[in-house]
Amino acid sequence: MNGRLLDNGFRLLGLVMIGVILCFLLTPIIVTTVMAFDARAYLGPLPPPALSLRWFAQFFSDDYFLRGLSTSVQLAVLSVTISLCVGVTTAFAVERASFAGKEMLISLFLSPLLVPPVVTGFALLLFLSHLGLINGFARLLCGHIIITVPYTIRATLAGLAGIDRSLTEAALILGATERRAFWDVTLPLARTSIVSGAIFAFAVSMDDVAVSIMLTDANTFTLPVALISSMRANFDLSIAAASVMLMLVTLTLIVILEKFVGLNRVIGQGVFRS
Amino acid sequence: MPPSPETVIEFRNVNKRFGATTAVDNVTFTVAAGETISLLGPSGCGKTTTLRLISGFEDPDEGTIEIAGESMVGKRPYERNVGLLFQHYALFPHMTVAENVAYGLKHRHWPKAEIGDRVRDMLRLVQLQGFESRRPGQMSGGQQQRVALARVLATRPRLVLLDEPLSALDAKLREELRLELKQILTAVGSTTIVVTHDQDEAMSLADRIVIMNRGRIEQQGTPDEIYMAPRSAFVAAFIGRTNWFHGRISSAPSDGYFRLTTEAGTTLAIRDPGAVGDDKRSICIRPERIELVGAESAAGKSGDNVLPGQVVDVVNMGAELHYIINAADGRIMIVEPNREGARVRKGDGVKLQFRAEDCVVLPQDAA
Repeated sequence: MNGRLLDNGFRLLGLVMIGVILCFLLTPIIVTTVMAFDARAYLGPLPPPALSLRWFAQFFSDDYFLRGLSTSVQLAVLSVTISLCVGVTTAFAVERASFAGKEMLISLFLSPLLVPPVVTGFALLLFLSHLGLINGFARLLCGHIIITVPYTIRATLAGLAGIDRSLTEAALILGATERRAFWDVTLPLARTSIVSGAIFAFAVSMDDVAVSIMLTDANTFTLPVALISSMRANFDLSIAAASVMLMLVTLTLIVILEKFVGLNRVIGQGVFRS
Repeated sequence: MPPSPETVIEFRNVNKRFGATTAVDNVTFTVAAGETISLLGPSGCGKTTTLRLISGFEDPDEGTIEIAGESMVGKRPYERNVGLLFQHYALFPHMTVAENVAYGLKHRHWPKAEIGDRVRDMLRLVQLQGFESRRPGQMSGGQQQRVALARVLATRPRLVLLDEPLSALDAKLREELRLELKQILTAVGSTTIVVTHDQDEAMSLADRIVIMNRGRIEQQGTPDEIYMAPRSAFVAAFIGRTNWFHGRISSAPSDGYFRLTTEAGTTLAIRDPGAVGDDKRSICIRPERIELVGAESAAGKSGDNVLPGQVVDVVNMGAELHYIINAADGRIMIVEPNREGARVRKGDGVKLQFRAEDCVVLPQDAA
């Protein structure tokens, strides 16, 4: 009897914790979203008496933000493309090879996840200045490739690990060369994982502040960096509007991801059956 | 179909080691065109490695493998024209049934129209017409197995390899598909190697069985030969059920029979014990070769062995009755067809009778 009471207590505690965490995660987002639509010109108590899109309009009329946004998008697209190529080929090579220290090598590839971004950014700044590379965009690109590559490598490795070896062997014995087997079997089956890795990498690149802030120059800066410096100069709610838009981008990516993963549930059944 | 003398595959003194373990140890065998052989043995006996050596996924350390007279040294899997049915089918989950079956043909650069015809023919052969646009994930295990078979046979491989073809299916379906598989393989006249650990599968599918143990071939022969005349204790124990007697040859032949005295003091009449160094022998007698006779029944003619015993258990298996008898040399199992139910009960005193001709005499080895 006592045991059951305790069990119920724990279950209740679990529910309460879930509620608390949800509040903790969602409240700031809700507050930010509400503030982005606030019609007042100053920071007043919530809820706002009237709603408007003025902060969005202000964001889009601000050249500083727009330049940041444009740099961020270009940077994300370019760095994700490069880190996809690097990540997929690296993961594929590492997965097929077997040698001593393979696990160590994989850990090394994933190490940018463990090194604090500020350290990565600072180290890169010093290194690139020594090399004489002072172009802001090139520096940012280097930094963003470094922080996104672990995501593409890890996602691809996870995808390859889920592919039954005998599928590749089946392709070979049916007459496909190893190259054909890669294009016909391995890549399509790892596609979901690769796409999810790319989406994560894109989000990381769009959100990064710590590495980017070290590598920006006067003319080239990313949107998050622009938001932070404008917040220090004059605080207004266009930052909230920008946040809402960033959230929308992320949400869109999640929907795309879900669609891909959902598709995989239909296609992928055979792989995981054993 | 009579096997033609033409050799499709020849294995000569093949060795394959993985680190310290020898997976395949000096293996030699041939398969003739149209023949179905089975590589049978417990897991780890080297049969799967043998299959992978034929497919080209592994290379032998020593020895030669020839397919249709052509050495396979250094040949990649896609250069061998060998078909392999994987244990878990390995159907491409992102392709339809038709695309799966067409895959090998595409890589042989068949014209599109011919590929379509061939895929249709193959699906008719395995009775899966109308399933062309399904995905493997939407099909049952038995259906997937048929698709896999169609994919293997579509390219008309010189040699078809089946890796535990029915082990992933449940017992009832396994029996149905076993018959169908045999019919299909006979219909296309393929040369086949079946790798299995299931003796029923081997006995029913194969013209010839190669029994492997610890990387070596223990015996090869027809299912009858393997069952009736096992050449080692391992083979006798691995194929079917067996009763054992262990003892020494006790006297020179009289009236055409040798005599063997067991550890428990029973004397058995046996045929030629063979010329092996010492006089220790093991006798193997199949359960269906022993007759249960009434306790009062007298000994038969010379060469008939009659032992007293007591019934420990009677098991009704439906088609068969299994009697477990306690005799001086241990438990003896008797199997007889179930005609009118059990003839004796638990606890009854009985006599067992079997002929010397049915005893297989083997040298006593460590196994």
